[in-house]
Amino acid sequence: MESANSPPESIKPKPSAPLVFMRFRPAWAYIDGIREFGRFFCQTTFGTQELADRACVVIQETLENAVKYSTNSDNSELELSIESDGSNIEFSVSSLPDSRHLDSLRQELNGLHTLDPEQAYLAAFIRASNEPDASARLGLARIRYEGGVELSMREEAGGRIRITATGKL
Amino acid sequence: MSQFTAVSVPKSETIAIQVTGPNQVKLSGTITQKDPSSDLAGFFKALHTAAVADKLTEVRADVSGLTFVNSSAIRLFVDWATWVKNERSQRYTLRFITSRNVTWQKTSFTALMSLMKEVLAIEQVT
Repeated sequence: MESANSPPESIKPKPSAPLVFMRFRPAWAYIDGIREFGRFFCQTTFGTQELADRACVVIQETLENAVKYSTNSDNSELELSIESDGSNIEFSVSSLPDSRHLDSLRQELNGLHTLDPEQAYLAAFIRASNEPDASARLGLARIRYEGGVELSMREEAGGRIRITATGKL
Repeated sequence: MSQFTAVSVPKSETIAIQVTGPNQVKLSGTITQKDPSSDLAGFFKALHTAAVADKLTEVRADVSGLTFVNSSAIRLFVDWATWVKNERSQRYTLRFITSRNVTWQKTSFTALMSLMKEVLAIEQVT
């Protein structure tokens, strides 16, 4: 018998397939709706508000970056997937960014990984405070710290990149 | 006459903003625009300037009803705290009223507080 808090059998995650897969044009107008779907999905599937809140941060910030830096070409659709092996959860966003953005993204991720998530978030705050006219650049550090995930980037065929955020359930 | 209460409040579809007293402002809703500074940076700067002109010792910013914000919005709170920190003639305490039930507020304001203890205070409500 299912307990009141556990998800029904019909929506329990199956490790062999993505739980969520979405493809859409890189438009800012979609982000709020997709983030709130992610909140609902994680709350409903895994039954924890904490994971739902973490999912919101990861989805919002990864999609914002993907939309901001996407090219305007016909094949620039974004792909978002959510997977779980029962112990971990993985959010993955694939996009086709402007090549000028790639170097700064690589640098930002390399810099982040030299510090633990909290220290990296504090360092990003200090940088923002010291550079009032520069863009915020808090998003990736926030994803790691508030989202409780580690970030990686894979460069794929055709100039696409895939940012993956992996953390404990 | 209070300059703080005379600050003009910007209109936004997703945020409700009220200046609720001579040193109090309340924000609720969500901030996820691409560039929230276009609505809010000038407003926060005007509140800061008014607080200095009014010789306030404390400004209370109630953000407990802000259920979600993006990192560009968090940056605006960093900027406000930085203006106070850099203020030499009439520094005041910037007190954020936060909700202990809203995750982003716990993580981000705790981090900000650890960097700017001398000008910030955090108060938690349910």
